[in-house]
Amino acid sequence: MVGFKIAQEKDGLKIINTGCCHDCGGRCVLRAHIKNGKIIRLETDNEEDPQLRACLRGRAYRQRVYSDERLRYPLRRVGERGEGIFERISWDEALDEVAFKIKEIKKNYGNSAILLVPGGGNQGMLHGIVSHALMLHQIGGYTRMWGAPSYEGALFASMATYGTMMTGNAREDLLNSKFIIMWGWNPANTVWDPGTSLWLAKAREQGIKIVAIDPIFTDSAAILANDWIPIRPGTDTAMLIAMGYIIITENLHDQAFIEKYTVGFDKYKEYVLGINDGEPKTPKWAEKITSVPASIIENLAREYATIKPAALIAGWGPARTMFGEQYSRAANVLCAITGNIGINGGYSSGFMRAYYSRERIVTGGKKKSGPIKLEEEKLKKPRIQDNPIDFGAPPREDSLYKLKGGTNPVNTRIHYNDYYNAILKGKKGGYPADIKMAYIVGTNRLNQFGNVNKGIKALKSLDYIVIFEQFMTPTAQLADIVLPVNTFMERNDVAVPWLGAPYYIFLNKAIDSIYESKSDLEICKELSKRLGVEQNLLDLPEDQILRLLTAPRKDIKSYNKLKRDGFYKVKVEEPFVAFKEQIEDPETHPFPTLSGKIEIYCEHIAEKNNPLMPPIPKYLSHEEHYDSPKAKRFPLQLLTPHNKRRTHSTLHNIPWLEEVEPHNAWINPIDALRRNIKDGDLIDVFNDRGRIRIPAKVTERILPGAVCVYQGAWYNPDKEGIDLGGCANVLTQDSYSPGGAFPLNSSLVEIELASINKKEGDL
Amino acid sequence: MNQMGFYFDQTRCTGCYTCVVACKDWNDNPVGVNWRLIKTVENGTFPNLFLAYLSTSCHHCADPPCVKACPTGAIIKRKSDGIVVVNSEKCLGKKDCGSKCLKVCPWDIPQFRDEENSKMEKCNFCVERLEKGQQTICVEACPMFALDVAPLKELQEKYGNICEAEGFDYLEKYKPSIIFKPKLRK
Repeated sequence: MVGFKIAQEKDGLKIINTGCCHDCGGRCVLRAHIKNGKIIRLETDNEEDPQLRACLRGRAYRQRVYSDERLRYPLRRVGERGEGIFERISWDEALDEVAFKIKEIKKNYGNSAILLVPGGGNQGMLHGIVSHALMLHQIGGYTRMWGAPSYEGALFASMATYGTMMTGNAREDLLNSKFIIMWGWNPANTVWDPGTSLWLAKAREQGIKIVAIDPIFTDSAAILANDWIPIRPGTDTAMLIAMGYIIITENLHDQAFIEKYTVGFDKYKEYVLGINDGEPKTPKWAEKITSVPASIIENLAREYATIKPAALIAGWGPARTMFGEQYSRAANVLCAITGNIGINGGYSSGFMRAYYSRERIVTGGKKKSGPIKLEEEKLKKPRIQDNPIDFGAPPREDSLYKLKGGTNPVNTRIHYNDYYNAILKGKKGGYPADIKMAYIVGTNRLNQFGNVNKGIKALKSLDYIVIFEQFMTPTAQLADIVLPVNTFMERNDVAVPWLGAPYYIFLNKAIDSIYESKSDLEICKELSKRLGVEQNLLDLPEDQILRLLTAPRKDIKSYNKLKRDGFYKVKVEEPFVAFKEQIEDPETHPFPTLSGKIEIYCEHIAEKNNPLMPPIPKYLSHEEHYDSPKAKRFPLQLLTPHNKRRTHSTLHNIPWLEEVEPHNAWINPIDALRRNIKDGDLIDVFNDRGRIRIPAKVTERILPGAVCVYQGAWYNPDKEGIDLGGCANVLTQDSYSPGGAFPLNSSLVEIELASINKKEGDL
Repeated sequence: MNQMGFYFDQTRCTGCYTCVVACKDWNDNPVGVNWRLIKTVENGTFPNLFLAYLSTSCHHCADPPCVKACPTGAIIKRKSDGIVVVNSEKCLGKKDCGSKCLKVCPWDIPQFRDEENSKMEKCNFCVERLEKGQQTICVEACPMFALDVAPLKELQEKYGNICEAEGFDYLEKYKPSIIFKPKLRK
């Protein structure tokens, strides 16, 4: 081994053990080769198993660090907002102005007028949003968001059903399964912990049958699974419920498990059999909705219920829809009625965070599991790190606040996909604050949330926008002050695995900051002084803060080893299985729900008395569904999944990655033919919210009636407002489901040849 | 000669391009110059589809046509390990030579930068890494452990002797030094 364990210098070459840490499904090892203060090459983990090998995104990182497009200096807007004309200013000038504006807005309108817009584009335990939030708490807080676009539907369902987000089994336990269903889940592109695709391949090689359900023949469906079942977007709940119908009517359910560990099976059964609504949820019923042949639904239901143990892994994509939480709930319930929970080879579909050390507040650590009593007084009393603005705020609508670790009533304010209405309408429109300033950290917000065109209007209406960024993103273009932040190659930090897998990565500083960029910590130290923050945690040296932040993680036995090696792999004796205790010893270990059991029927939801949030999972249509009146004008369903070469909008502008996969719209030949579209033609994808213009990829790999535009391409409008960048969120909704799901896969669109093509055709 | 060779498990390749990007980073290659390539094989009509990826680089053929075609002897097949390397000082350049190596390579392996009369370049089997006892950068990059390099004989003992895969035609006259676990159609 050449200089791996300890950074060595040989022939002027130094190897720094660091990693890759963006908002994707991985946190991976990188070893940076440094010569004359510059990264010249990267390697990854080739040490002990499990190796944390970086994907193409991490391997291309050198082009991101040294990109000509990196922000170099603090910038101040000089043109009209959004015109994109800026002047270079000094850090002192910039920070003085930002501090002055914060104080002025605070004085005139109160702290709630400051809207924090956080993102995962630039992160670590200390840097990114963490430093800024710690600082802003100490000046009286800010208005903030609730809801995460990736998983809010899955999280809500997980909390409602199990009372926790700690569900599923460790990846290596897939080898103990006898049957695996990958539902709307594409780890080949989205990673989902560095070893996931490899474990699935190994399972298949062992002869374990894997079935993928997806409207797209994804790389996962094609390569990792044996069989692919295409399904109409947004109808997954119907198919899951029809599977429940077969399982119940053919008596394939695990009655003993249901009686011992669950509540509400009878109410689910009534719905499935159609006792009250006269509509039995048969596979024939589901076939009409899902386009999946009834016989295929029947077979899958029988296989899942009879080949034991079986792992139904419900991905988050189908939950990124209107009523997405119903899909997740329906999947969770199937796991329960087949008794596949808490056992090796089974899988409790839910939020999917099997390894639990990072979430001590819920079921981990020494705290006993079991129903949580609501302690009103405790909730009212702020802790040091809490945001003062949260206290006294009205509870979030439809919050599962009685469950600990869930979305409680005092830490949530505006749904993250509802920011634009909140900005435009304010208190008069029923929102909790009149927003004057956006404080944006590490997010290409405009690009990555629903309804870009409304977003531009909302952001333009603000008094002041400051953004902390690495690149001049479409969001940064709208700011008044743009501050250049360094990358994780230019500072020290610790990366925590995305879903809590048993390892940590130390992001050792590999090079000095590029140009005049600074770390978030450096920026916040400076800004804190100007804001008069006293007794500041951020005043401590970087290493000391990192030691403090990692100290509660009891599974890190040696901070020094973590820092030296660049990673710390926690030794796990046997694959982690969520709810093993609850199943083996239910008396001592009830589920952390109000009933102490798996809630097929959730009483806490029933209290809301909201027909659009039923206490048992139900299939519901909505006004942008395939069968809605709107579908007459916009007959195609838009999917906006993650692709293999970006992490959301991060890494969009990296030439090596752009070369891998061109940005285009996937459409089936049937839909293309009807519109006279050929592969490679420039097409417009549009609806009432906007219009994007990108090439068509005519492919059999997508279900007829669906269009796929991978999210993350940067918004780039022409003079008429047509987005030539192909940003999917020009077309998506800025609303949310009752359970909080982001309906980013629930948009109806139409496509046509771009007028530029038509003109050529006419000639 | 102890001919070095590649092994590629096509059943595992998800087409993630990590090998391609790692190779570009290690060798500092720009867009358009790919020492490692991914080929996508798509077949069928909805919903009965087949998809496979093929990740290959120069096959360091036992009898490489490029070596014979090169007018200046710039392409050399090493005697010790059969690795085919390029002496760019001898290479005449794309324009002056008319890229004879590219014309004879059935797999379009020779690469040229987008520059006037650029010299031929291609996979050199990471010879400097092999000398240090490391594997090629692509092998160490693959998140699916679908690639391997070793003397071809060792690979054949370990993985068998299948020399065709989806998207790859074996040519007996050149004897490319690669074996596969091919992805099979149903």
